[in-house]
Amino acid sequence: MTNGTAPDNALVLAAIEQVWGSMLFASADPWPADRPAEFGSGVQAQIELRGDWNGRLVLTCDRDVAAQIAGAMLGCGPEEVLPDLDVHDAVGEVLNVVGGSVKGALDGVSALGLPGVAPCTAPPAQGECMVVSWRDAPVYVQVVPDAAA
Amino acid sequence: MTISSSAFTFVRELVRAESAIVLEPGKEYLVESRLVPLARAAGHPDVDAYVAQLSTRRSPAALKQVVEALTTNETSWFRDTDPYTTLRETIFPELARNRPRKQLRVWAAACSSGQEPYSIVMTAMDTPALAGWRVDVTATDLSEEMLERGRRGEYSQLEVNRGLPATTLVRHFERQGLNWRINQSIRERVEFRHLNLTRPFPPMGQFDVVFLRNVLIYFDMPTKREVLQRVRQVLAPDGHLFLGAAEMTMGVDDAWERVPAGRSSVYRIREEQRTCVPW
Amino acid sequence: MRALVVDDSRAMRRIVTRILEDAGFEVLEAGDGQEALDVLAAQETPPELACVDWNMPVMDGLTFINHVRKQPQWRATTLMMVTTESEQSQIVRALAAGAHEYLIKPFTGEAMLEKLDLLGLLPTPVGDQT
Repeated sequence: MTNGTAPDNALVLAAIEQVWGSMLFASADPWPADRPAEFGSGVQAQIELRGDWNGRLVLTCDRDVAAQIAGAMLGCGPEEVLPDLDVHDAVGEVLNVVGGSVKGALDGVSALGLPGVAPCTAPPAQGECMVVSWRDAPVYVQVVPDAAA
Repeated sequence: MTISSSAFTFVRELVRAESAIVLEPGKEYLVESRLVPLARAAGHPDVDAYVAQLSTRRSPAALKQVVEALTTNETSWFRDTDPYTTLRETIFPELARNRPRKQLRVWAAACSSGQEPYSIVMTAMDTPALAGWRVDVTATDLSEEMLERGRRGEYSQLEVNRGLPATTLVRHFERQGLNWRINQSIRERVEFRHLNLTRPFPPMGQFDVVFLRNVLIYFDMPTKREVLQRVRQVLAPDGHLFLGAAEMTMGVDDAWERVPAGRSSVYRIREEQRTCVPW
Repeated sequence: MRALVVDDSRAMRRIVTRILEDAGFEVLEAGDGQEALDVLAAQETPPELACVDWNMPVMDGLTFINHVRKQPQWRATTLMMVTTESEQSQIVRALAAGAHEYLIKPFTGEAMLEKLDLLGLLPTPVGDQT
């Protein structure tokens, strides 16, 4: 099976900036490779793209960062603690909106899957992902093509 | 949540120094609503905390952002809806009866990134009485950056969400990557050029309709008067002026009269004032 | 006025619901198209507005709109797609199926209010705040 051209990093980053700016009231800046970051337990969201190009977008971040993202999206006060269900749902929707923007900019007709979100233990290895800032923390984003059959 | 008077004063003085635009007392809510997104983006709980940090650190980039947030016009399509309905249902058909050459000229006097002049062109295209007419829009602004954006006619997804009916989007725009670009047939009807409303106008010819919406509110009284007087000199004797809903000519330049039109009102030059003074 | 918000994301439902409640709507919610049909069927009078996501489990938004437009008793409900689907062809499909308006995610609260204004569904039009 051959796969079409993957969405390029600049496009994905531009979509992220748009979503950060309009839904999360934050700017998405590149995260310097040598800047240290904590990563305790994490949250990983994935969404599939099906069309000329087949693969998925993956967004990974620390659990606390995910909670902050959900809080910003929902306009929660600093004292409001969201249950995991809501944090996962919000992060999934953020990736869904990024995925839709990316899909719409690709050539040809593609379909978007539904986002899936699960806990994870480690961020992706450096060099395998783009890293953007969410306030003072990193968010890891990958464009993963389907393995060739 | 309301902005403190010290924060308001700081912002007012900053904007006055950078743009000659005066934010009168009573414009606190405007300052607040325009700065909330900047404050949040910078991680501050409210506008006061954000302004406090601005006033101590004085980062030029951040100050520039504030001035732009307060002086940039709203960028909705068909802003406020009513003026465009009035244009299509009342003003354009009336002008169509009085212009045997089948040509109209419209001036969008503070066009920002182009939504207003392009909305005027699309409205003209939707006016049956103007079928086969030539409608040209001159779009002016103080900011070269805005003029360049207007000429390009490319808008983000967020921008095309603002007041643009979906049917109009799919009819008059093409998707380009993450953005949408307005079609050539509409772009070529608008000429973008630099103009400072507070200075004498360059030669521009005569217009049938002038959009001067939500601009005067930023000027002090003598400047408002001068601008309105100069607009009279480039408006056809039977032409129409559109102002923002909160703006009026009364008590500023009384050579204008307010005329009800559709669900809103427009302004015309009083009959006895219609002798065009050459300038 | 009443509105039905159909979205599989609880977070997005909460965001849209808050904007609509601030604009004076009483809001009903559903997590997919089938649930939304059930909610509609349980109403004595249909809501004035439905905001509908496209990609959802069980029944997607386009299918939901097709169902609603076939039922004369729901004709008075104004349908607005609120979705991240943003290709020109997809917008045309939704409009052809009977959606009255289309709001692309991501959107701001102001953008949603302006769409409601276009649809004549705001008690007070979005006027100059200035």
